[in-house]
Amino acid sequence: MNVLTIIKKEFSRFFKDRRMLITILLPGILIYIVYSLMGTVFKNESKIDENFRPAAYVINMPAGDLGKALSSVLQISEEQMDAEAAKKKVEEGSLDLAIIFSENFDISVDGAQNSIEIYYNSANEDSSIGFEMVSYVLKAFEQPKFVVNPIGGSYDLATEQDFAASFLSTLIPMLMFALLASACVAVAPESIAGEKERGTMATMLITPVNRWEIALGKIISLSCFALLSGISSFLGVILSLPKLMGGLVSSDTVSFYNAGDYFMLFGIIISVVLVIISVFSVLSALSNSVKEAGAIISPCMIVIILLGLASMIITAPAIGWYFIPLLGSGLAMSGVMAMTASPLGVVFSILSNLVFAAALIVLLAFMFKSEKIMFKK
Amino acid sequence: MEEILRAENLKKTFKLTKKQQRNEKTNLHVKVAVDNLSFSAYRGEIYGLLGPNGAGKTTTLRMLATLIKPDSGDAYILGKSVKENEKEVRKKIGFLTSELKLEDFFTPSYLFDFFSELYGVEKSVKDRRKQELFRKFGIDRFQDVKFGNLSTGMKQKVSLVISIVHDPELIIFDEPTNGLDVLTAKVVTDFLQELKANGKTIILSTHIFSLVEKLCDRVCVIIDGKSVAEDTLENLTKGSTLEDTFFRLYRETTGETV
Repeated sequence: MNVLTIIKKEFSRFFKDRRMLITILLPGILIYIVYSLMGTVFKNESKIDENFRPAAYVINMPAGDLGKALSSVLQISEEQMDAEAAKKKVEEGSLDLAIIFSENFDISVDGAQNSIEIYYNSANEDSSIGFEMVSYVLKAFEQPKFVVNPIGGSYDLATEQDFAASFLSTLIPMLMFALLASACVAVAPESIAGEKERGTMATMLITPVNRWEIALGKIISLSCFALLSGISSFLGVILSLPKLMGGLVSSDTVSFYNAGDYFMLFGIIISVVLVIISVFSVLSALSNSVKEAGAIISPCMIVIILLGLASMIITAPAIGWYFIPLLGSGLAMSGVMAMTASPLGVVFSILSNLVFAAALIVLLAFMFKSEKIMFKK
Repeated sequence: MEEILRAENLKKTFKLTKKQQRNEKTNLHVKVAVDNLSFSAYRGEIYGLLGPNGAGKTTTLRMLATLIKPDSGDAYILGKSVKENEKEVRKKIGFLTSELKLEDFFTPSYLFDFFSELYGVEKSVKDRRKQELFRKFGIDRFQDVKFGNLSTGMKQKVSLVISIVHDPELIIFDEPTNGLDVLTAKVVTDFLQELKANGKTIILSTHIFSLVEKLCDRVCVIIDGKSVAEDTLENLTKGSTLEDTFFRLYRETTGETV
């Protein structure tokens, strides 16, 4: 009953205060705008015309397959000039490549007489791309016994979905942990260390309310705010991903996850928020001011973000990993995004988080009882 | 006379940090803040704890209010131990000190409701008390203004009212008029006298002689955590002024002249 009273108070504190609402919702909107802008910039930078053929001048072009292959990717200049004049043009940018085969170049004979000079201009993007293309073609002819990926085929068989899933499975846990942790930082020190600093906590402590009711009420409401902020940020990320990835992840990426995936993800996120809020609340209760709480929490935040990265290192986790609070959630989240989640692992990770958070709530209640912690002066 | 409060040999020590040792110019690791303090307060009286700063008055009141626990000894409020029955004690007391603050963001009306709920006051009782108290203190006109935007005097009035939302039997006030202008201080002293008239018991701590002379039925003089004299004002001063009596006691106890 009193838990409800505390929750109601925390809710009116947050939702009636426009500043607090902005703190909660702004990150998501900002992420959306910034990522979308970044995506647009990337897209413009990396736009390659599929029909692009670099302009090249070739001296002593060999006959046979190599000659044909080069002719197919390059736009060979018919102009007559010597090597020096061609290099000059490359330097000036009016020509992308100057390729000089040695005299008597014969691909069927191994030997030092076969040399190829490719002049290019790395300051010129078209020239650089041309150099890469020619190098690629030449590589295919280097080993006459077999050819790897002959030119003209399409060998990258990853579907857009696979790509998106593997990309999201590494990105999302770390990103979510970072977003949730920063959301928690925005609310926990203010509500606990802040109340202690302002002396409003003591006013609550002289009422007959049980300490655990205050602890639980605070943690539930703070978790709701952090969750709201986390979801806002998460939506910002997901909605801006298609733009950020420059078309690699299409806007229907989010739709290839089914309801079950979202359900698991949401469960994991809620349990993660509970743990982070509980940890930050305990640290805030130890501090005498919001400033002090911020200083203690900062290193803790880095650890949390690193835990989100764990899925990059632990690629095939044994079930035991899922029992470690937060770390297990990172692995479970990564599994869901890669569509390889073990439902049991997800359940274990959520349960271990809930147990850990409950233990911290009990600890917080004891701290509220401690005169050393609450009335340090 | 019904005994409302009985404090028995209350003792509280605090560990001193290195820095505090330097400041206090002592090698001792602990400071005895309250040393075997015993006293009783009866229904309908105003009982004063008089002493200089650092004498242990606030520590004593904090122990009575269950915010901190005595190292030894105990106090009983309407028969309930402050050590064993914290929750029961909290229901029966109102505690007001400058350290207990209200959140600037909320309105007096909201705060009254919130604290009434925490004290488990029934809604109908709460509504009636709110109306009465708000009208009496002139809070009704400001009841929807955020606490942070109120004047210092109005803030003090709201704090007073909030501390008695649950109509407690015993009201504990730490330095009730400290830092208040004459008008607000008058509101506070009038309020205390009215509570007394309604049969409530009040414990207050102060270092202001005039406040004791004006309000207190009985007084306990505390110096260095110890009770050095306790009696009715009349018996204590024996025709002298309270100020002279206090300094005489201070000289006799500490051997220092002021």
